[in-house]
Amino acid sequence: MESSILESIGVEIIGVMSPVSICMLLVVLLVYALSPSNPFSAAASAPPIRTAANLVYLESPSDSASQKLEGALLNALVFVVLIAIVTFLLVLLYYYNFTNFLKNYMRFSAFFVLGTMGGSIFLSIIQHFSIPIDSITCFLLLFNFTVVGVLSVFSGGIPIFLRQAYMVCLGIIVAAWFTKLPEWTTWVLLVALAVYDLVAVLAPGGPLKLLVELASSRDEELPALVYEARPTVPRNTQRRGSGLELLVAGVSDSGSVELQAVTRDNVNRNENESRGNSEYSAVEFGSFGSERHESNRDEGERLLSEENAQDRQSLSSNSSGYSTVIVQSDRATQFSSGASEIINEEMSPLVEMTGLGNEREQLRRDGSEMFSKGIKLGLGDFVFYSVLVGRAAMYDLMTVYACYLAIISGLGCTLILLSVCHRALPALPISITLGVVFYFLTRLLMEPFVVGTATNLVMF
Amino acid sequence: MTIAAGIGYALLALGPSLSLFVSVISKKPFLVLTVLSSTLLWLTSLIVLSGIWRAFLPLKSSTWWPYSILIFTSVAFQEGLRVLFWKVYKRLEDTLDAFADRVSKPRLYLTDKMQIALAGGLGHGVAHAVFFCISLLTPAFGPGTFFVDRCSKIPFFLLSALIALAFVTIHTFSMVIAFNGYAEGNKVDQFFVPIVHLVAGMVVIFNISFSEIIARIATLTFCLQILYFIAILTLLHCGKMVWGRLTENRGRQGSM
Repeated sequence: MESSILESIGVEIIGVMSPVSICMLLVVLLVYALSPSNPFSAAASAPPIRTAANLVYLESPSDSASQKLEGALLNALVFVVLIAIVTFLLVLLYYYNFTNFLKNYMRFSAFFVLGTMGGSIFLSIIQHFSIPIDSITCFLLLFNFTVVGVLSVFSGGIPIFLRQAYMVCLGIIVAAWFTKLPEWTTWVLLVALAVYDLVAVLAPGGPLKLLVELASSRDEELPALVYEARPTVPRNTQRRGSGLELLVAGVSDSGSVELQAVTRDNVNRNENESRGNSEYSAVEFGSFGSERHESNRDEGERLLSEENAQDRQSLSSNSSGYSTVIVQSDRATQFSSGASEIINEEMSPLVEMTGLGNEREQLRRDGSEMFSKGIKLGLGDFVFYSVLVGRAAMYDLMTVYACYLAIISGLGCTLILLSVCHRALPALPISITLGVVFYFLTRLLMEPFVVGTATNLVMF
Repeated sequence: MTIAAGIGYALLALGPSLSLFVSVISKKPFLVLTVLSSTLLWLTSLIVLSGIWRAFLPLKSSTWWPYSILIFTSVAFQEGLRVLFWKVYKRLEDTLDAFADRVSKPRLYLTDKMQIALAGGLGHGVAHAVFFCISLLTPAFGPGTFFVDRCSKIPFFLLSALIALAFVTIHTFSMVIAFNGYAEGNKVDQFFVPIVHLVAGMVVIFNISFSEIIARIATLTFCLQILYFIAILTLLHCGKMVWGRLTENRGRQGSM
């Protein structure tokens, strides 16, 4: 019995989601374990720490709401401006080829984070659970842990699994520190960072966009702390190539479905007049595609989608009705599935297609190159997802689950968009927006409802 | 002891789902994604419902009819969502088949379809257990426990874990039954699912309405028994149906 396609679709999405989930889970456990159980004890009333994220305003519980909001906004503004300045500095250094300096700086910061911040977290864990350990052993263990971590950040020859584990560790440690910020500042900061991320990656001249473009034009690794979801078990090239292509195609395929599921006004109409609509969609595609491709290609696509309409009603109704997004994702599917050696039998009769061989080849190579490196997720995304969940953990478990689900689904949406757009995308905005919305909905609406019904043993 | 108790309650509610997840779902990434999206759907439905009912809270715990209206609207809403979920799944299945053709892999097997349905149901069930049972368990990890007025012998956490286990079973397997019913156009299966869901919800109401009259614990035990009877009925029905489909399918393949 041949293996079904269920096993091969979505491998990479899970490959990114599972470390994020582990990171969030550990941060939540850490927050639960280390937060003082009695809110009026001495530890809770200790003065809050002062970091770059609350330079301007120190929140105290007695302030009024408007005061807190104003202070939190100022804090967030200062923090985002600081981050923007640092990122521009990074881009500048990278532009003038200070790559070694950057790498050493990253190593130093990894050392600093693992050694001091991680060390203090380990100390508080040891105190909290009263683990019997002497200081010399503890120091040796911490030192070894830190050194291996620093070595694994940029040098080759380290197993990818170790590097991934250390990335998750770094994320956990930084996120655990960020959860010590006061509440209002945290929320405003998260939203501000999501907006900043959106601007920095997508706007022309945004620092992260510049950085990514520079790195790809020089064909180098990005000099930053980035989690790579490469397959941990190396497979032979033949299998790997086809597997990845198939995966990408699978992602964009299901992407089209999910996008349709959200906006499904005219689904019924589609099914009734799928043929008419598919022509319409082909025309739409034409107007969209002619921006970048020559016209005979559109013709080919049009024929193709007509054939689809006859052949597989479902698929053509998928591509119909929705203008650019769906058609584009459909096309991505065709590219990637065309790249595997199996030629799509529906493409072969189209004479027009052959004229496009070169362009297709080019695009194909781009696509496979991009995905043979695997999906990369910045460490900052790990950190701020976990900060959100950790902050939610300070309220209740219910908000934790709601935020987790929201963040993971936002990440899934981002990954699907990634397979559609084939360019660097910000991972924070969708997830953080969903997370914040679900947090407040859960806290304000769902919690009283669920607690009220469940304590009466009414469930459904 | 306290942490052990908390973990015990959590495993009581979610243990079977956990083993199902590890043995069937976790090997296929697509099924994991299905579980996640189905959980999100259930969460969204709960938020919408609580948004609607927020204005009427808190309900008086002595009368039972507001609760029955609540259960009725909630079940109706969730069954409506199940139909929506089925339609989305139908399109997904077509797309997956088309994709399988394109990369010249076999189309979805019958078992694959059933596994997708199982994953969807598991998502619903897990979401139920998580939001109605696990998220209230936080105090159970600390010292002491909590008793509701209705029952002064069994801890509230144990009760809610038991009820959650029954509901997880019902949710998980009724999704398989419902999907099969829609696919085959089988009216009995299509109506079996909402009725089971509604009856299971109403059984829990039953314990409110009669607790004033009869001895409370006896009523509660009785309710739990009925609930588990329904859960086992769902399980058996699902098993019988899946067995029937599989043998029929094998017979068809053999004759071909």
